[in-house]
Formats: sequence, C-alpha cells, structure tokens
Amino acid sequence: MKRRIANVNGWTIGALLIIILLFIPNLSIVTGIFAPNNENWEHIREFMLLNYIKSSLTLVFFTAILTIAIGLSLAWLIAQYDFPLRNFMKWSLILPLSIPPFIGAYTYHGILNYTGIIQKTLRNHFDVTVNQSYFDIMNVPGAIFIYTLFLYPYVYMITRIFLSNQAASLIESARTLGKGSIEIFLKVVLPISRVSIVGGVSLVILEVLNDYGVVKYFGIQTFSTAIFQTWFGLGDLNSSIKLAACLMGIVIFILLIEWALRGGKKYSFASTKVRPLPLVKLTGKKAAMATGYTLIIFTIAFLIPVLQLLDWVILTFGKVPMEEVLTYAKNSIIVAGTAALLIILFSLIIGNFSRITKHKFAKVLPKLTILGYSIPGAVIAVAVVTTFIAIDRYLAPVYIWLGVDSALVLSVSLVMLISAYIIRFFAIGYNSIESGYTKIGTDFRDASRMLGVSSLRTFFKIDIPMMKGAIISGFILTFVDILKEIPLTLILRPFNYDTLATKAFQYASDEKIMEASQASLLIVGVSAIAIFIFNKLLREGPK
Amino acid sequence: MKRSFVLVLVSLLLILAACGNKKSTDTTGSEKKNEKAEVNLYTSRHYDVDNELYKKFEDETGIKVNVIKGEADELIERIKREGTATQADLFLTADVGRLYRAKEQGLLQEVSSDKLSKQIPEKFRDSDDMWVGLTKRARVLVYNKDKVKPEELSTYEALVDNKWKGRFLVRSSESVYNQSLLASFIEIDGEEKAKEWAQGIVDNMARSPEGGDRDQAKGIAAGIGDVAIMNTYYLGQMLNSQDSEEVKVAEQLGIFFPNQETTGTHVNISGAGVVNGSKNADNALKLLEFLTGEEAQFTFAEANYEYPVNPDVEPAELLKSWGEFKEQEIPLEVLGENNAKAIMLFNEVGWK
Repeated sequence: MKRRIANVNGWTIGALLIIILLFIPNLSIVTGIFAPNNENWEHIREFMLLNYIKSSLTLVFFTAILTIAIGLSLAWLIAQYDFPLRNFMKWSLILPLSIPPFIGAYTYHGILNYTGIIQKTLRNHFDVTVNQSYFDIMNVPGAIFIYTLFLYPYVYMITRIFLSNQAASLIESARTLGKGSIEIFLKVVLPISRVSIVGGVSLVILEVLNDYGVVKYFGIQTFSTAIFQTWFGLGDLNSSIKLAACLMGIVIFILLIEWALRGGKKYSFASTKVRPLPLVKLTGKKAAMATGYTLIIFTIAFLIPVLQLLDWVILTFGKVPMEEVLTYAKNSIIVAGTAALLIILFSLIIGNFSRITKHKFAKVLPKLTILGYSIPGAVIAVAVVTTFIAIDRYLAPVYIWLGVDSALVLSVSLVMLISAYIIRFFAIGYNSIESGYTKIGTDFRDASRMLGVSSLRTFFKIDIPMMKGAIISGFILTFVDILKEIPLTLILRPFNYDTLATKAFQYASDEKIMEASQASLLIVGVSAIAIFIFNKLLREGPK
Repeated sequence: MKRSFVLVLVSLLLILAACGNKKSTDTTGSEKKNEKAEVNLYTSRHYDVDNELYKKFEDETGIKVNVIKGEADELIERIKREGTATQADLFLTADVGRLYRAKEQGLLQEVSSDKLSKQIPEKFRDSDDMWVGLTKRARVLVYNKDKVKPEELSTYEALVDNKWKGRFLVRSSESVYNQSLLASFIEIDGEEKAKEWAQGIVDNMARSPEGGDRDQAKGIAAGIGDVAIMNTYYLGQMLNSQDSEEVKVAEQLGIFFPNQETTGTHVNISGAGVVNGSKNADNALKLLEFLTGEEAQFTFAEANYEYPVNPDVEPAELLKSWGEFKEQEIPLEVLGENNAKAIMLFNEVGWK
C-alpha cells in the first residue's frame, strides 16, 4: 500500500509540475479579467458583444454539424466498407488538414472571385457574366464552408481510428446478429463513437472560435476579431483580455458539454487484440456512390485548392528565392516537431496521472491545460513574453556567472516560442492521448502492477505499445497544427527567423496571395508528407 | 528510476529558488560588451523590398540588420513588456497611429540629425522628434470609368450623397487605413460630422464590407459598385500584376484625388522611431538616415508604388502619371490621437 502511494506520487508530481508550467502564463490573463470595467468595455458591451456572440455561435454551430456529418460518414464508409480507391482515400481524406483555413479561404476566394479562374473563363471564352452574389464566399456561410472543408478531418480521423480498431468486436457482433447497415450505424456505431466524435468536434469548435485569418479576411466579426480589434484598435489590452475571458467561458461551457455527453462513461475494451474490422465489399452502384462521395470531398477540400496554389506558384516562379523558402521549411519542421514531441510526452504523463489517480481532482485538473487552446495566439504570446522576461530577470545572476553577455537569453530564444506552442496546442495532443487512455482502460495496467512490475516499466511495456495509435495521431495533429500557426510565431520567434506560415501570412496580409503560394504549398506538402508517413507507421486496418 | 526523476525536478526547483536574486537585474554590464555592429528592427512592414534595402544597408555599412516582424500592436506590447531589457533598436510600422501609440507609451526616444531634417520635411516628422516618416500613402477614390465621370466626384464628404446609394464600396473598419481616414475627419470636421459621414457611407454601401483594397477594385469591375476607397499602391500593384485579369480590372478604373478644392486628400505614412533603451541607437539612426536617403526612397517608390517622403526623390513614373495632388494639412499625430474615437464611431454606426 505504501509503495502504491509512492508510485502515484511520481506521476502526480510530474503531472502537477507540467500543469503549473502550462498554466502560469495564463495567470496574467486571468488577473486581467478582474481589472475594473472601463469606457471601452461599456462601448463594446453596448454595441458589439451581442454581435460577436451571435456570429461566433452561428459559425461554431453549423461548422460542428457539418464536420460531424462529413467526418462521421467518411469514417463509417472507410471503416466498414471496401470500394474502389478506398485504400487511397483512407489517408487522403485527412489531407485537407494540411491546408490552413486562412490559406483555404484565400484560394477559394481566388478561384471564385471576379478575376478567378471560373469567372475569367466564363467571361473571356463564353462571354457570360455571372451574378456576383452566387460567387461571393466572403460571408458567414462562406466561412462555414471553409471551416468545414479544412477541419472535418479532425472528426474523420479520430472516429475512423476508433471505428476500425476498437469498435470492431461490437460492430461484428451486430453484424452476426443480422442487423442492417443503417441499424448498426444508428444503434451501435453512433453511440459507441460518441466519445471520438465529441473529441474531434470539440477540436473543430476550438479551432473555429480561435481562428483569426478567415474571419478577418471575410470581414466577419467574431470574438477573435473583437479581441484583436479591441487590443489593436482601441489599444486596450485589458478589455481584450476580458473578451478573451468571455471566450474562455464559452470554451469551458463546451468542455462541460463534452464531459456531460460522455456521461462519465468509459468505453474501454477487455480484449488485448486491437482487431481490425472485416470490411464489407461494395459492388456496383453502391461502390460507385461510395467512391464518388469520397472523391468529391477529397477534390473540393484538397485537390482544387492545391491545384490553385500550384497555378500561382508557376505564375510567380522566381519571384521568391527557393533557398529562402527551403530554410523556412526547415525552421518550421524543427520547431513544430520539437513542440509536438514535447506535447505528446507531457500529455502521456498528465494523462497517466489522471487515469491512475482516483481522486476527482485528477480528472478535472488536466482539463485546465486545454484552456490554452481557447485563448487567442496573440494574447498567449504576450503572456508568454511576460513570463519569460520574468524568468530571465530571475536567472540574470546565472547568466552573469556563465559569462553570457545579455540580460535576455530564454526570451529571445526558440525555447520561448516552443513553450508557447506547447501551451497553445496542448489540447490537441492531450485530447488524442486521453482518448487513447480511455480506450485501453486500466485493466492491463492493474494486472501488470499486481504482478509486481513497477509503474514506469508498466507504462513503457504495456501502455505505450497499446497507445501507439493515439500517440502517432496526436503527434500528427499537433505537428500539422503548429505548422499552420501564425500569431504566436510572428511575435515570439527570434530575430531573423521565419517559418513557412509567417512567410505565407505576410504575403497574404499584403494582399499578395500569389507570392504566398510557394510557402503555402510547402506547408501543405510538409503536412501531407507527415500525414502520409505516420499513416504508414500506423498500419492499422487491412491493406 | 521514477524517484530519480522526481529528485531531478526538485533539485532543479531548488536551484532556481537559490539563484533567484531579484536585485541584480541591471543590464549595464552587458551593454559594454554589446558593441557588435548590428541593429535590431521590430517591424510590421513585410515587403520584400524592405529586405532588399536592409541587405543594401548591411553591404554599405557592415552593420547587421536583425528583423522581427509582426503586427504593430503586438510588437508595441512586446517592447513594452521587455522594458529596459529590450532588444529592439528601431520600431517600424505602416501607420502613423501606431507610431503615436508607441510614443505615448514612452517606448521611443528623441532622435534628430541634420541629415534626417534635410531628408524628411517637418510635416512627416514627430513634433518631438520621436519618429520619422519613411513613405507616404494616399487614400483615394477609384471609380468605374464607364459609369462615373470624374466630374461627378469631388470630396470624401460628398460620397454620402443619395446618388451613391448602393454604389459605394469600401473594406471593413478593422482596416487601420479606414480608421486613420475617419480620425482625420474627426480632426477636421469634429466628431458629430465625422459620425454623420460614417453613417452616410454605411447607408450607401453596395455590400457589407469584405476583403481587402484589391477586392474593392474587383467589386467595381464586377459591377457591384461604382466607386471605392483605396490606397494608391494597391492599384499600382494590380497594374503590374502577373495576373493579366488583375491588370484588366485595374485598367477599368479611374483614380481620383478627393478634396482638392477643400481640405486635401488623406495621406498616411510608414514610419519608424528609435526605441527607448535601444542598445544600438547610433546604428538605428544610421539605418533611418539610409532609409530616407535618395537611393532607398527611390527603391520604395519604384518597387512598392509608395510616395517618397524625401522631397528630392521623384515618385515612380506610374504615380507621376496620376498627377500631383494636394494633401491633407493636419498634423499626422492627430490620426493617432483620434484612432480609438474613430473605431468607436465605426462601431456605433455599424460599419463592420
């Protein structure tokens, strides 16, 4: 018994330390909430707040519905059926995740607007002038369209892995009992994949709430544009922090809903065999429909934007020096890779702590680390800068002792940027790891521990191998997300340090989307390769 | 193994606590050594031409230019938080309102030299020499040559006339260019009139604001509206675009400098100031002198279609072809002073 407590303590201390480290920078935001209301805040409340809430919730609601519809239907098709192109689609359908929504927005606007390929062709070759309003995507429905296209893979990916591995035995039993596809879907698949769906869609919702690029370009006023406008325009960081706090409130509300939807239920499996589901072969019309559906989604959400980017790259070739772009690519990969690795490592520690500690506190506390995801990047950046400068001041004697000739060391290094990434994107990695832990449950661990194997050894020998899928998908998701990040990177990177995303954004914000295409295409390329490699590594499901 | 892990963590904490000696945060020791020939630039301008100019400056002076790019306010916030330990030497941005804000927050220091005073007219320098202008940008009207005769246009104020109802295009109020424009009206006409103007514009909009300046130009070509407000250099870029369709769009547009008979066309600047606490202030000054020198001014104008601030440098051919114009004569600082007010007015009249 004594030993057991000691073991728990190791994980507890590790987890608590990380949670504290993740939370410290957010404290400076939390304190801002309590600043007295000023004139600006009254103004915001009177004229703006209702609008922000309305448009933010509209975007979130419809994007959530649509991403679930598309993500789940695709996951179900791929997990359950065999049809032409299935093996290609299985991983290609994740690829839209490699396109940052703001770049997606620029490309689709580029395609659809007056000088875009469609209208240009109609006008110049067929002498047809179209009604502009049919081609206008710079509005709320347009933004929902963009978010759905480039974010549905969160739902698809998480649900598909769950369906094809963990849910196999249940679905198979239902099949054996002679249930039809629709019935299986409604009575088995939907209830058991609830956790994965909710996990995926909550990532989508958080992305939407936090997106700045798309809404800014489309001129839609949401919380994140409001936070920036209040801060930039009114020069009032306090009020913008208050808005961030409102946003945080919404996020906490969403997380509570997520928690309630899970109903505290756990779906873990007593079988060690993570057994793939045998596929039902589709033929004829059904096969054509399945292939057609997946192909359409893939084309709209990946192929078309990429082709447009390629077209622009060719158009502007030679304007942007290639070596430079390759340097940005290298930078991007290094920082995103490091941060993603650390996030997964920390998630494993916190997740394990949450799993093996029976206290309620241990279930709720890790949720706090997700808050970083609800705070806009720029606000986190300021919080992180403040924290690191304080640390640097604190460490000044050490620097002098070491003979470093600067008062700022950490706060001008990549350490600061990577820390900020970890705070900001922890939720993505943790979500994946947590659902991995949920799936494997504690039975095997308990068995191992009962046989006298140490906690750490059990962790490496039992948990990690069973968690492979969750670890890999968590890593891809975080890596790809960090690759696309802009505000944090813009503010926190060291001197003369650019990434693909900052470069693309800078061109784009100068309305030079064509020049931005090279860096954008490389982001897509690098992310796509990452998705491909890790998908190979996963090697789950029949070939 | 796990115990040693805990041990390492705890001892790390102890080291941190032991070394935490708050009083020694002065940086004088490090300043002496810090005589590398370099200058650290925080900039919100991210044009390729800027990088070319920095490279040229490096070649000429041997002073290395280090750059951090970001949105102006984020950079201001960062400089503020870095305090006396800041690495920044020069703050450069594309709007005078932000320079004003940096100055108000005490982030800039006075810089003057004969060269600067010679190269930049007084109008484009801060009254306390806290910042200087680098380039000018005019916010003008563009119109559909087929549907609008230039004689129909006169002033910004006249755009609220009923005849423009449903014919007017402009980007969102989040654009700092629009904020500065309204800020100038607050100064010239007073708050009440400025608000009426903003309301009148909202009433005349052909569609709710979306996209950037280029999108307004395309909106005119597409027939959504007939008149738009735009910065001149976007038009320059469109006319020189690799995309022939953009060139066609720009060619359909006429350019009109409003308020020539009255208060003059609204201009804003890109500008820069030396950061308070800069450790390479001399190098920063040299860079400022270089950027306002003839060569750099010419490059700005040629590559980016901005107007030079240096009176000895002629604008690019394209800009000259648009003709000379009378500028607003208000002190640029007021654009900064009135910025927050302008945003509030925009919100009140519902200019998205």
